[in-house]
Amino acid sequence: MTSEPNDDPTDAVLLDALEPEDDELLTLEELAETSHISTVVISMLVREGWIVPHPGPGGDRFDRADLGAVSAGLRLVEAGLPMAELLDLARRMDDAMDPVAQLAVDVFARFVRDSVEASAASTDEAATTLQRAVDEMLPATAALVGEHFRRLVVKHATARLVEE
Amino acid sequence: MRVTTRLLDGPPPLVEHDPPLAWVSDDQTIIGFGEAFRISAGLGTERFDKAQQAFGDWIEGCQIEDDFDLPGTGPVAFASFTFDSRSPGSVLIVPEVTFVKSRRRWHVTTVGDVDHARYLVTEERPEVERDRPRFAGASIPDVAWVEAVAEAIDRIRRGEARKVVLARDFALWSRTRFDTTRLMAKLIERFPHCFTFAVDGLIGASPELLVRTDGHTVSSVALAGTAARSPHPEIDERLGSELLNSDKDRFEHQLAAESVERVLEQVTASLSKDETPTLRKLDNVQHLATAFDGVLREPSSAMTLAGMLHPTAAVGGDPTDVAIEMIRELEGMDRGRYAGPVGWMDQRGRGEFAIALRCAEISGARARLFTGAGIMSDSLPENELEETRLKLGAMMSALE
Repeated sequence: MTSEPNDDPTDAVLLDALEPEDDELLTLEELAETSHISTVVISMLVREGWIVPHPGPGGDRFDRADLGAVSAGLRLVEAGLPMAELLDLARRMDDAMDPVAQLAVDVFARFVRDSVEASAASTDEAATTLQRAVDEMLPATAALVGEHFRRLVVKHATARLVEE
Repeated sequence: MRVTTRLLDGPPPLVEHDPPLAWVSDDQTIIGFGEAFRISAGLGTERFDKAQQAFGDWIEGCQIEDDFDLPGTGPVAFASFTFDSRSPGSVLIVPEVTFVKSRRRWHVTTVGDVDHARYLVTEERPEVERDRPRFAGASIPDVAWVEAVAEAIDRIRRGEARKVVLARDFALWSRTRFDTTRLMAKLIERFPHCFTFAVDGLIGASPELLVRTDGHTVSSVALAGTAARSPHPEIDERLGSELLNSDKDRFEHQLAAESVERVLEQVTASLSKDETPTLRKLDNVQHLATAFDGVLREPSSAMTLAGMLHPTAAVGGDPTDVAIEMIRELEGMDRGRYAGPVGWMDQRGRGEFAIALRCAEISGARARLFTGAGIMSDSLPENELEETRLKLGAMMSALE
Protein backbone atom coordinates (compact mmCIF):
# COMPACT_ATOMS: atom_id res chain seq x y z
CA MET A 1 0.00 0.00 0.00
CA THR A 2 1.35 3.45 -0.82
CA SER A 3 2.01 5.60 2.20
CA GLU A 4 1.65 9.33 1.72
CA PRO A 5 3.35 11.89 3.94
CA ASN A 6 1.01 13.38 6.53
CA ASP A 7 1.75 16.96 5.53
CA ASP A 8 0.51 16.41 1.98
CA PRO A 9 -2.17 19.12 1.44
CA THR A 10 -4.57 16.67 -0.16
CA ASP A 11 -4.43 14.26 2.81
CA ALA A 12 -6.91 16.25 4.85
CA VAL A 13 -9.33 16.35 1.93
CA LEU A 14 -9.07 12.62 1.35
CA LEU A 15 -9.48 11.85 5.02
CA ASP A 16 -12.52 14.09 5.07
CA ALA A 17 -13.95 12.31 2.04
CA LEU A 18 -13.50 8.98 3.81
CA GLU A 19 -15.38 10.16 6.91
CA PRO A 20 -19.11 9.36 7.08
CA GLU A 21 -21.34 12.12 5.79
CA ASP A 22 -23.87 11.39 8.43
CA ASP A 23 -23.70 13.90 11.25
CA GLU A 24 -26.18 11.91 13.30
CA LEU A 25 -23.93 9.33 14.85
CA LEU A 26 -25.57 6.83 17.18
CA THR A 27 -24.43 5.61 20.56
CA LEU A 28 -24.19 1.86 21.20
CA GLU A 29 -27.53 1.91 22.99
CA GLU A 30 -29.18 3.92 20.20
CA LEU A 31 -27.84 1.55 17.57
CA ALA A 32 -29.16 -1.39 19.60
CA GLU A 33 -32.58 0.20 19.89
CA THR A 34 -32.76 1.17 16.22
CA SER A 35 -31.51 -2.17 14.90
CA HIS A 36 -33.31 -4.35 17.48
CA ILE A 37 -30.02 -6.10 18.18
CA SER A 38 -28.73 -6.35 21.74
CA THR A 39 -25.72 -4.35 22.87
CA VAL A 40 -24.05 -7.68 23.66
CA VAL A 41 -24.25 -8.79 20.04
CA ILE A 42 -23.28 -5.35 18.65
CA SER A 43 -20.22 -5.26 20.94
CA MET A 44 -19.32 -8.68 19.65
CA LEU A 45 -19.65 -7.48 16.05
CA VAL A 46 -17.37 -4.55 16.86
CA ARG A 47 -14.72 -6.86 18.31
CA GLU A 48 -15.07 -9.07 15.26
CA GLY A 49 -14.46 -6.05 13.01
CA TRP A 50 -17.85 -6.17 11.30
CA ILE A 51 -18.49 -2.59 12.22
CA VAL A 52 -15.86 -0.04 13.15
CA PRO A 53 -17.14 2.63 15.52
CA HIS A 54 -16.04 6.24 15.41
CA PRO A 55 -14.39 7.19 18.67
CA GLY A 56 -16.18 10.09 20.32
CA PRO A 57 -15.78 12.02 23.55
CA GLY A 58 -18.58 10.11 25.29
CA GLY A 59 -17.73 6.71 23.84
CA ASP A 60 -18.02 4.94 20.52
CA ARG A 61 -20.40 6.26 17.88
CA PHE A 62 -21.95 4.45 14.92
CA ASP A 63 -23.06 5.76 11.55
CA ARG A 64 -25.79 4.73 9.12
CA ALA A 65 -23.48 2.30 7.32
CA ASP A 66 -23.00 0.46 10.63
CA LEU A 67 -26.75 0.36 11.09
CA GLY A 68 -27.08 -1.03 7.57
CA ALA A 69 -24.43 -3.69 8.25
CA VAL A 70 -25.92 -4.94 11.51
CA SER A 71 -29.44 -4.86 10.05
CA ALA A 72 -28.26 -6.91 7.06
CA GLY A 73 -26.64 -9.38 9.44
CA LEU A 74 -29.84 -9.61 11.45
CA ARG A 75 -31.83 -10.32 8.29
CA LEU A 76 -29.53 -13.22 7.49
CA VAL A 77 -29.82 -14.60 11.02
CA GLU A 78 -33.59 -14.17 11.02
CA ALA A 79 -33.74 -16.02 7.69
CA GLY A 80 -32.10 -19.00 9.37
CA LEU A 81 -28.32 -18.58 9.09
CA PRO A 82 -26.75 -19.37 12.48
CA MET A 83 -24.78 -16.45 13.91
CA ALA A 84 -21.71 -18.67 14.42
CA GLU A 85 -21.66 -19.58 10.72
CA LEU A 86 -22.24 -15.96 9.73
CA LEU A 87 -19.28 -14.84 11.83
CA ASP A 88 -17.14 -17.56 10.27
CA LEU A 89 -18.13 -16.41 6.78
CA ALA A 90 -17.39 -12.83 7.77
CA ARG A 91 -13.92 -13.78 9.00
CA ARG A 92 -13.23 -15.65 5.78
CA MET A 93 -14.54 -12.75 3.73
CA ASP A 94 -12.30 -10.39 5.67
CA ASP A 95 -9.27 -12.62 5.11
CA ALA A 96 -10.03 -12.90 1.40
CA MET A 97 -10.91 -9.27 0.79
CA ASP A 98 -8.37 -7.45 2.91
CA PRO A 99 -5.42 -7.86 0.51
CA VAL A 100 -7.68 -6.89 -2.41
CA ALA A 101 -8.78 -3.76 -0.55
CA GLN A 102 -5.14 -2.84 0.12
CA LEU A 103 -4.36 -3.36 -3.54
CA ALA A 104 -7.34 -1.20 -4.52
CA VAL A 105 -6.06 1.65 -2.35
CA ASP A 106 -2.63 1.27 -3.88
CA VAL A 107 -4.10 1.36 -7.38
CA PHE A 108 -6.09 4.47 -6.48
CA ALA A 109 -3.02 6.18 -5.10
CA ARG A 110 -0.84 5.36 -8.09
CA PHE A 111 -3.29 5.86 -10.92
CA VAL A 112 -5.85 8.36 -9.66
CA ARG A 113 -4.23 10.45 -7.00
CA ASP A 114 -0.82 10.74 -8.65
CA SER A 115 -2.43 11.55 -11.95
CA VAL A 116 -4.74 14.23 -10.47
CA GLU A 117 -1.87 15.83 -8.58
CA ALA A 118 0.22 15.87 -11.74
CA SER A 119 -2.44 17.55 -13.86
CA ALA A 120 -4.21 19.88 -11.40
CA ALA A 121 -3.39 23.55 -11.66
CA SER A 122 -3.39 24.01 -7.90
CA THR A 123 -3.53 22.07 -4.67
CA ASP A 124 -7.11 23.24 -4.15
CA GLU A 125 -8.11 21.96 -7.56
CA ALA A 126 -6.40 18.63 -6.88
CA ALA A 127 -8.19 18.35 -3.54
CA THR A 128 -11.59 19.08 -5.09
CA THR A 129 -11.02 16.60 -7.90
CA LEU A 130 -9.86 13.90 -5.48
CA GLN A 131 -12.82 14.46 -3.18
CA ARG A 132 -15.15 14.08 -6.15
CA ALA A 133 -13.28 10.93 -7.20
CA VAL A 134 -13.61 9.34 -3.77
CA ASP A 135 -17.29 10.29 -3.59
CA GLU A 136 -17.85 8.54 -6.91
CA MET A 137 -15.52 5.61 -6.51
CA LEU A 138 -16.32 4.41 -2.98
CA PRO A 139 -20.03 3.74 -3.61
CA ALA A 140 -19.16 2.37 -7.06
CA THR A 141 -16.69 -0.03 -5.46
CA ALA A 142 -19.29 -1.16 -2.91
CA ALA A 143 -21.84 -1.76 -5.70
CA LEU A 144 -19.32 -3.55 -7.88
CA VAL A 145 -18.04 -5.86 -5.13
CA GLY A 146 -21.54 -6.50 -3.77
CA GLU A 147 -22.89 -7.39 -7.20
CA HIS A 148 -19.88 -9.55 -8.00
CA PHE A 149 -20.34 -11.51 -4.79
CA ARG A 150 -24.07 -11.82 -5.45
CA ARG A 151 -23.29 -13.30 -8.89
CA LEU A 152 -20.81 -15.75 -7.37
CA VAL A 153 -23.38 -16.89 -4.81
CA VAL A 154 -26.00 -17.35 -7.54
CA LYS A 155 -23.52 -19.25 -9.72
CA HIS A 156 -22.59 -21.69 -6.94
CA ALA A 157 -26.17 -22.07 -5.74
CA THR A 158 -27.29 -22.89 -9.27
CA ALA A 159 -24.50 -25.41 -9.70
CA ARG A 160 -25.42 -27.03 -6.36
CA LEU A 161 -29.08 -27.28 -7.37
CA VAL A 162 -28.18 -28.84 -10.70
CA GLU A 163 -25.87 -31.32 -8.94
CA GLU A 164 -28.55 -32.37 -6.46
CA MET B 1 -30.96 -66.79 34.37
CA ARG B 2 -27.74 -68.39 33.16
CA VAL B 3 -24.89 -66.05 32.23
CA THR B 4 -21.99 -67.70 30.44
CA THR B 5 -18.66 -66.30 29.33
CA ARG B 6 -16.57 -68.13 26.74
CA LEU B 7 -13.26 -67.45 25.04
CA LEU B 8 -13.32 -66.76 21.30
CA ASP B 9 -10.65 -67.80 18.81
CA GLY B 10 -10.23 -64.32 17.44
CA PRO B 11 -12.00 -61.06 16.66
CA PRO B 12 -15.65 -61.81 15.96
CA PRO B 13 -17.03 -60.52 12.63
CA LEU B 14 -19.94 -58.66 14.16
CA VAL B 15 -23.15 -57.71 12.46
CA GLU B 16 -24.24 -54.10 12.48
CA HIS B 17 -26.71 -53.18 15.11
CA ASP B 18 -28.82 -50.06 15.27
CA PRO B 19 -28.77 -48.50 17.77
CA PRO B 20 -25.40 -49.90 18.80
CA LEU B 21 -24.33 -50.63 22.36
CA ALA B 22 -20.61 -50.17 22.58
CA TRP B 23 -17.55 -48.93 24.41
CA VAL B 24 -14.22 -48.69 22.61
CA SER B 25 -11.08 -47.35 24.25
CA ASP B 26 -7.36 -48.02 24.08
CA ASP B 27 -7.70 -50.66 26.79
CA GLN B 28 -11.14 -52.13 26.38
CA THR B 29 -13.62 -52.97 23.67
CA ILE B 30 -17.13 -54.06 24.62
CA ILE B 31 -19.91 -54.53 22.08
CA GLY B 32 -23.39 -55.47 23.19
CA PHE B 33 -26.41 -56.86 21.34
CA GLY B 34 -29.99 -57.22 22.50
CA GLU B 35 -31.23 -56.38 25.96
CA ALA B 36 -31.37 -58.87 28.81
CA PHE B 37 -32.13 -56.18 31.38
CA ARG B 38 -32.92 -52.47 31.31
CA ILE B 39 -33.77 -49.95 33.98
CA SER B 40 -34.54 -46.26 33.87
CA ALA B 41 -32.54 -44.89 36.76
CA GLY B 42 -34.93 -42.02 37.47
CA LEU B 43 -34.12 -38.61 38.92
CA GLY B 44 -31.97 -37.21 41.70
CA THR B 45 -28.40 -37.79 42.78
CA GLU B 46 -29.51 -41.26 43.87
CA ARG B 47 -29.93 -42.32 40.22
CA PHE B 48 -26.41 -43.80 40.29
CA ASP B 49 -27.16 -45.89 43.40
CA LYS B 50 -30.52 -46.88 41.99
CA ALA B 51 -28.97 -48.14 38.76
CA GLN B 52 -26.22 -49.96 40.61
CA GLN B 53 -28.68 -51.53 43.04
CA ALA B 54 -30.89 -52.70 40.18
CA PHE B 55 -27.90 -54.22 38.37
CA GLY B 56 -26.82 -55.94 41.60
CA ASP B 57 -30.33 -57.28 42.21
CA TRP B 58 -30.48 -58.60 38.66
CA ILE B 59 -27.08 -60.31 39.06
CA GLU B 60 -28.33 -61.93 42.28
CA GLY B 61 -30.85 -63.83 40.20
CA CYS B 62 -28.23 -65.05 37.72
CA GLN B 63 -26.19 -68.22 37.58
CA ILE B 64 -22.83 -66.96 36.37
CA GLU B 65 -20.22 -69.10 34.62
CA ASP B 66 -17.13 -66.97 34.11
CA ASP B 67 -13.77 -68.74 34.40
CA PHE B 68 -11.84 -65.67 33.35
CA ASP B 69 -12.87 -62.96 35.81
CA LEU B 70 -11.34 -60.23 33.70
CA PRO B 71 -12.55 -56.64 33.39
CA GLY B 72 -15.66 -56.87 31.25
CA THR B 73 -16.19 -60.64 31.39
CA GLY B 74 -19.29 -61.97 33.09
CA PRO B 75 -22.41 -59.80 33.01
CA VAL B 76 -21.73 -56.24 31.93
CA ALA B 77 -23.95 -53.19 32.17
CA PHE B 78 -23.79 -50.17 29.90
CA ALA B 79 -25.03 -47.02 31.60
CA SER B 80 -25.59 -43.42 30.66
CA PHE B 81 -26.71 -40.76 33.13
CA THR B 82 -28.28 -37.38 32.63
CA PHE B 83 -26.19 -34.32 33.36
CA ASP B 84 -28.84 -32.73 35.55
CA SER B 85 -30.27 -34.76 38.41
CA ARG B 86 -33.68 -33.24 37.60
CA SER B 87 -33.67 -34.58 34.03
CA PRO B 88 -35.13 -37.95 33.14
CA GLY B 89 -33.32 -40.31 30.79
CA SER B 90 -30.65 -42.09 32.87
CA VAL B 91 -30.52 -45.67 31.75
CA LEU B 92 -28.72 -48.96 32.45
CA ILE B 93 -28.76 -51.83 29.96
CA VAL B 94 -27.36 -55.36 30.23
CA PRO B 95 -26.94 -56.78 26.72
CA GLU B 96 -28.19 -60.22 25.83
CA VAL B 97 -24.86 -60.95 24.15
CA THR B 98 -21.64 -59.11 24.94
CA PHE B 99 -18.39 -59.38 23.00
CA VAL B 100 -15.45 -58.20 25.08
CA LYS B 101 -11.83 -57.68 24.21
CA SER B 102 -10.05 -57.86 27.53
CA ARG B 103 -6.30 -58.38 27.96
CA ARG B 104 -6.02 -58.67 24.16
CA ARG B 105 -8.35 -61.69 23.93
CA TRP B 106 -11.94 -61.80 22.78
CA HIS B 107 -14.65 -63.29 24.95
CA VAL B 108 -18.39 -63.57 24.56
CA THR B 109 -20.93 -63.47 27.36
CA THR B 110 -24.47 -64.65 26.76
CA VAL B 111 -27.51 -64.24 28.96
CA GLY B 112 -30.00 -67.10 28.74
CA ASP B 113 -30.08 -69.53 25.87
CA VAL B 114 -29.30 -67.11 23.07
CA ASP B 115 -26.77 -68.22 20.46
CA HIS B 116 -24.15 -65.50 19.99
CA ALA B 117 -23.65 -66.65 16.38
CA ARG B 118 -26.80 -64.76 15.42
CA TYR B 119 -24.75 -61.59 15.84
CA LEU B 120 -21.91 -62.75 13.62
CA VAL B 121 -21.78 -61.75 9.98
CA THR B 122 -22.59 -64.50 7.54
CA GLU B 123 -22.80 -62.43 4.40
CA GLU B 124 -21.65 -58.99 3.37
CA ARG B 125 -24.13 -56.22 3.90
CA PRO B 126 -25.24 -54.58 0.67
CA GLU B 127 -24.28 -50.93 0.26
CA VAL B 128 -27.15 -48.69 1.21
CA GLU B 129 -27.42 -45.20 -0.22
CA ARG B 130 -27.35 -42.63 2.58
CA ASP B 131 -28.48 -39.05 2.62
CA ARG B 132 -26.34 -36.30 4.14
CA PRO B 133 -27.07 -34.69 7.53
CA ARG B 134 -29.28 -31.62 7.24
CA PHE B 135 -29.58 -28.78 9.73
CA ALA B 136 -32.90 -28.64 11.55
CA GLY B 137 -32.36 -25.81 14.04
CA ALA B 138 -31.27 -25.52 17.64
CA SER B 139 -32.98 -25.43 21.02
CA ILE B 140 -31.99 -21.80 21.33
CA PRO B 141 -30.72 -19.55 18.52
CA ASP B 142 -27.01 -18.90 18.83
CA VAL B 143 -27.68 -15.16 19.18
CA ALA B 144 -29.59 -15.98 22.37
CA TRP B 145 -26.76 -18.32 23.42
CA VAL B 146 -24.24 -15.50 22.98
CA GLU B 147 -26.40 -13.30 25.18
CA ALA B 148 -26.56 -16.07 27.79
CA VAL B 149 -22.77 -16.31 27.69
CA ALA B 150 -22.50 -12.54 28.19
CA GLU B 151 -24.90 -12.77 31.14
CA ALA B 152 -22.81 -15.58 32.64
CA ILE B 153 -19.64 -13.50 32.22
CA ASP B 154 -21.33 -10.55 34.01
CA ARG B 155 -22.38 -12.77 36.89
CA ILE B 156 -18.92 -14.32 37.18
CA ARG B 157 -17.41 -10.82 37.24
CA ARG B 158 -19.84 -9.89 40.01
CA GLY B 159 -18.45 -12.83 41.98
CA GLU B 160 -21.43 -15.18 41.81
CA ALA B 161 -19.28 -18.02 40.43
CA ARG B 162 -15.80 -18.67 39.12
CA LYS B 163 -16.77 -20.72 36.09
CA VAL B 164 -19.86 -22.02 34.35
CA VAL B 165 -20.06 -24.31 31.35
CA LEU B 166 -22.78 -23.42 28.87
CA ALA B 167 -23.83 -25.91 26.22
CA ARG B 168 -25.79 -25.60 23.02
CA ASP B 169 -27.21 -28.06 20.58
CA PHE B 170 -27.87 -28.62 16.89
CA ALA B 171 -30.73 -30.68 15.52
CA LEU B 172 -30.10 -32.59 12.31
CA TRP B 173 -32.29 -34.63 10.02
CA SER B 174 -31.65 -36.82 7.04
CA ARG B 175 -33.75 -38.42 4.32
CA THR B 176 -32.41 -41.81 5.39
CA ARG B 177 -31.59 -43.28 8.79
CA PHE B 178 -28.25 -42.21 10.18
CA ASP B 179 -25.71 -44.98 9.83
CA THR B 180 -24.71 -45.37 13.48
CA THR B 181 -22.20 -48.16 12.84
CA ARG B 182 -20.43 -46.03 10.28
CA LEU B 183 -20.53 -43.10 12.70
CA MET B 184 -18.88 -45.24 15.39
CA ALA B 185 -16.20 -46.35 12.92
CA LYS B 186 -15.52 -42.78 11.89
CA LEU B 187 -15.28 -41.59 15.49
CA ILE B 188 -12.85 -44.39 16.34
CA GLU B 189 -10.75 -43.54 13.31
CA ARG B 190 -10.81 -39.81 13.88
CA PHE B 191 -10.42 -39.87 17.68
CA PRO B 192 -8.39 -43.07 18.21
CA HIS B 193 -7.41 -42.35 21.83
CA CYS B 194 -10.84 -41.20 22.95
CA PHE B 195 -13.58 -43.24 24.58
CA THR B 196 -16.04 -44.04 21.83
CA PHE B 197 -19.42 -44.99 23.22
CA ALA B 198 -22.92 -45.88 22.15
CA VAL B 199 -25.60 -46.34 24.78
CA ASP B 200 -29.30 -46.19 24.01
CA GLY B 201 -28.89 -43.82 21.07
CA LEU B 202 -26.24 -41.60 22.67
CA ILE B 203 -23.17 -41.92 20.48
CA GLY B 204 -19.92 -40.04 20.79
CA ALA B 205 -16.18 -39.96 21.33
CA SER B 206 -15.15 -38.44 24.63
CA PRO B 207 -11.61 -37.38 25.44
CA GLU B 208 -12.41 -37.16 29.14
CA LEU B 209 -12.10 -40.16 31.45
CA LEU B 210 -14.28 -39.50 34.46
CA VAL B 211 -13.25 -42.66 36.26
CA ARG B 212 -11.67 -46.04 35.69
CA THR B 213 -11.45 -48.59 38.48
CA ASP B 214 -10.70 -52.24 39.05
CA GLY B 215 -12.34 -51.90 42.45
CA HIS B 216 -9.04 -51.16 44.22
CA THR B 217 -7.29 -48.53 42.15
CA VAL B 218 -8.82 -45.49 40.50
CA SER B 219 -7.85 -43.21 37.61
CA SER B 220 -9.35 -40.02 36.26
CA VAL B 221 -8.33 -37.28 33.85
CA ALA B 222 -9.48 -33.68 34.17
CA LEU B 223 -9.69 -31.83 30.88
CA ALA B 224 -10.44 -28.13 30.62
CA GLY B 225 -8.94 -25.30 28.63
CA THR B 226 -9.17 -25.62 24.89
CA ALA B 227 -7.33 -24.32 21.83
CA ALA B 228 -7.72 -25.00 18.14
CA ARG B 229 -5.34 -27.19 16.17
CA SER B 230 -3.55 -26.33 12.97
CA PRO B 231 -2.42 -28.56 10.11
CA HIS B 232 0.85 -26.61 10.16
CA PRO B 233 3.11 -28.13 12.85
CA GLU B 234 4.71 -24.82 13.82
CA ILE B 235 1.36 -23.07 14.26
CA ASP B 236 -0.04 -26.10 16.07
CA GLU B 237 2.89 -26.08 18.48
CA ARG B 238 2.46 -22.35 19.06
CA LEU B 239 -1.27 -22.79 19.76
CA GLY B 240 -0.42 -25.54 22.26
CA SER B 241 2.27 -23.46 23.89
CA GLU B 242 -0.11 -20.48 24.17
CA LEU B 243 -2.70 -22.76 25.77
CA LEU B 244 -0.18 -24.07 28.30
CA ASN B 245 0.78 -20.50 29.17
CA SER B 246 -2.69 -18.94 29.11
CA ASP B 247 -3.70 -17.67 32.56
CA LYS B 248 -7.39 -17.94 31.66
CA ASP B 249 -7.10 -21.54 30.47
CA ARG B 250 -4.77 -22.55 33.32
CA PHE B 251 -7.25 -21.18 35.86
CA GLU B 252 -10.18 -22.86 34.12
CA HIS B 253 -8.22 -26.10 34.14
CA GLN B 254 -7.21 -25.70 37.77
CA LEU B 255 -10.88 -25.51 38.78
CA ALA B 256 -11.65 -28.72 36.89
CA ALA B 257 -8.64 -30.55 38.34
CA GLU B 258 -9.45 -29.39 41.86
CA SER B 259 -13.02 -30.63 41.58
CA VAL B 260 -11.73 -34.12 40.68
CA GLU B 261 -9.03 -34.05 43.34
CA ARG B 262 -11.48 -33.05 46.09
CA VAL B 263 -13.54 -36.19 45.47
CA LEU B 264 -10.65 -38.58 44.93
CA GLU B 265 -8.94 -37.38 48.13
CA GLN B 266 -12.01 -38.54 50.06
CA VAL B 267 -11.91 -42.08 48.71
CA THR B 268 -8.23 -42.83 48.22
CA ALA B 269 -5.49 -43.93 50.61
CA SER B 270 -2.91 -42.53 48.20
CA LEU B 271 -3.34 -40.25 45.20
CA SER B 272 -0.86 -39.03 42.61
CA LYS B 273 -1.44 -36.52 39.82
CA ASP B 274 0.43 -34.70 37.07
CA GLU B 275 2.33 -31.85 38.68
CA THR B 276 1.51 -29.52 35.82
CA PRO B 277 -1.14 -29.81 33.10
CA THR B 278 -0.10 -31.53 29.90
CA LEU B 279 -1.46 -31.10 26.38
CA ARG B 280 -4.00 -33.61 25.10
CA LYS B 281 -4.14 -33.22 21.32
CA LEU B 282 -7.24 -34.41 19.51
CA ASP B 283 -8.08 -34.30 15.83
CA ASN B 284 -9.79 -30.92 15.96
CA VAL B 285 -8.82 -29.28 19.27
CA GLN B 286 -6.23 -29.54 22.03
CA HIS B 287 -6.91 -29.50 25.76
CA LEU B 288 -5.07 -29.07 29.03
CA ALA B 289 -5.10 -32.37 30.93
CA THR B 290 -4.27 -33.52 34.45
CA ALA B 291 -4.22 -37.27 35.12
CA PHE B 292 -4.96 -38.74 38.57
CA ASP B 293 -4.13 -42.23 39.84
CA GLY B 294 -4.93 -43.51 43.31
CA VAL B 295 -5.46 -46.50 45.54
CA LEU B 296 -8.95 -46.71 47.01
CA ARG B 297 -9.35 -46.80 50.80
CA GLU B 298 -12.19 -49.24 50.41
CA PRO B 299 -13.31 -51.18 47.36
CA SER B 300 -15.74 -49.10 45.34
CA SER B 301 -17.55 -49.50 42.04
CA ALA B 302 -17.09 -47.46 38.89
CA MET B 303 -20.72 -46.35 39.05
CA THR B 304 -20.47 -45.16 42.65
CA LEU B 305 -17.30 -43.22 41.88
CA ALA B 306 -18.84 -41.74 38.73
CA GLY B 307 -21.80 -40.54 40.80
CA MET B 308 -19.45 -38.92 43.33
CA LEU B 309 -17.31 -37.19 40.71
CA HIS B 310 -20.19 -35.92 38.58
CA PRO B 311 -20.50 -33.07 37.69
CA THR B 312 -16.88 -31.96 37.60
CA ALA B 313 -16.07 -28.30 37.03
CA ALA B 314 -15.03 -29.28 33.50
CA VAL B 315 -18.69 -29.70 32.51
CA GLY B 316 -20.59 -27.90 35.26
CA GLY B 317 -18.61 -25.07 36.74
CA ASP B 318 -17.43 -23.75 40.06
CA PRO B 319 -18.86 -23.65 42.66
CA THR B 320 -20.88 -26.63 41.45
CA ASP B 321 -24.27 -25.77 42.95
CA VAL B 322 -24.19 -22.16 41.74
CA ALA B 323 -23.01 -23.23 38.29
CA ILE B 324 -25.77 -25.82 37.97
CA GLU B 325 -28.40 -23.22 38.84
CA MET B 326 -26.92 -20.82 36.28
CA ILE B 327 -26.98 -23.55 33.64
CA ARG B 328 -30.63 -24.28 34.39
CA GLU B 329 -31.46 -20.61 34.15
CA LEU B 330 -29.33 -19.51 31.20
CA GLU B 331 -28.86 -22.48 28.91
CA GLY B 332 -32.46 -22.59 27.70
CA MET B 333 -32.50 -26.34 27.04
CA ASP B 334 -32.29 -29.72 28.74
CA ARG B 335 -28.88 -31.27 28.10
CA GLY B 336 -30.29 -34.72 28.59
CA ARG B 337 -27.37 -37.16 28.85
CA TYR B 338 -24.87 -34.78 27.25
CA ALA B 339 -22.00 -34.10 29.71
CA GLY B 340 -23.25 -36.88 31.98
CA PRO B 341 -21.31 -40.03 32.86
CA VAL B 342 -21.42 -42.78 30.24
CA GLY B 343 -19.67 -46.13 30.43
CA TRP B 344 -19.73 -49.73 31.51
CA MET B 345 -19.42 -51.76 34.68
CA ASP B 346 -19.07 -55.48 35.34
CA GLN B 347 -20.34 -57.63 38.20
CA ARG B 348 -17.24 -56.80 40.32
CA GLY B 349 -17.79 -53.06 39.95
CA ARG B 350 -14.85 -52.74 37.58
CA GLY B 351 -15.47 -50.34 34.77
CA GLU B 352 -14.90 -47.07 33.02
CA PHE B 353 -17.02 -43.94 32.76
CA ALA B 354 -16.27 -41.05 30.47
CA ILE B 355 -18.01 -37.71 30.37
CA ALA B 356 -20.39 -37.78 27.40
CA LEU B 357 -18.82 -35.06 25.25
CA ARG B 358 -18.61 -34.76 21.44
CA CYS B 359 -21.78 -36.77 21.17
CA ALA B 360 -25.16 -36.98 19.53
CA GLU B 361 -28.50 -38.42 20.49
CA ILE B 362 -29.51 -40.38 17.41
CA SER B 363 -32.89 -41.81 16.65
CA GLY B 364 -33.41 -43.10 13.12
CA ALA B 365 -33.15 -40.15 10.76
CA ARG B 366 -32.98 -37.54 13.53
CA ALA B 367 -29.97 -36.45 15.55
CA ARG B 368 -29.26 -33.90 18.24
CA LEU B 369 -25.64 -32.80 18.60
CA PHE B 370 -24.26 -31.14 21.71
CA THR B 371 -21.26 -29.13 22.70
CA GLY B 372 -20.29 -26.67 25.40
CA ALA B 373 -17.70 -24.14 26.47
CA GLY B 374 -16.28 -23.13 29.83
CA ILE B 375 -17.15 -19.52 30.62
CA MET B 376 -14.76 -17.53 32.79
CA SER B 377 -14.61 -13.87 33.82
CA ASP B 378 -12.38 -12.97 30.88
CA SER B 379 -14.22 -15.02 28.27
CA LEU B 380 -15.42 -13.41 25.08
CA PRO B 381 -18.80 -14.63 23.78
CA GLU B 382 -17.60 -14.77 20.18
CA ASN B 383 -14.64 -16.99 21.11
CA GLU B 384 -16.89 -19.38 23.01
CA LEU B 385 -19.33 -19.42 20.09
CA GLU B 386 -16.50 -20.22 17.70
CA GLU B 387 -15.19 -22.98 19.99
CA THR B 388 -18.62 -24.62 20.03
CA ARG B 389 -18.96 -24.18 16.26
CA LEU B 390 -15.71 -26.07 15.69
CA LYS B 391 -16.73 -28.87 18.05
CA LEU B 392 -20.19 -29.20 16.48
CA GLY B 393 -18.61 -29.18 13.02
CA ALA B 394 -16.38 -32.13 13.96
CA MET B 395 -19.36 -34.17 15.08
CA MET B 396 -21.47 -33.13 12.09
CA SER B 397 -18.76 -34.17 9.64
CA ALA B 398 -18.58 -37.58 11.34
CA LEU B 399 -22.24 -38.04 10.45
CA GLU B 400 -21.63 -37.36 6.74
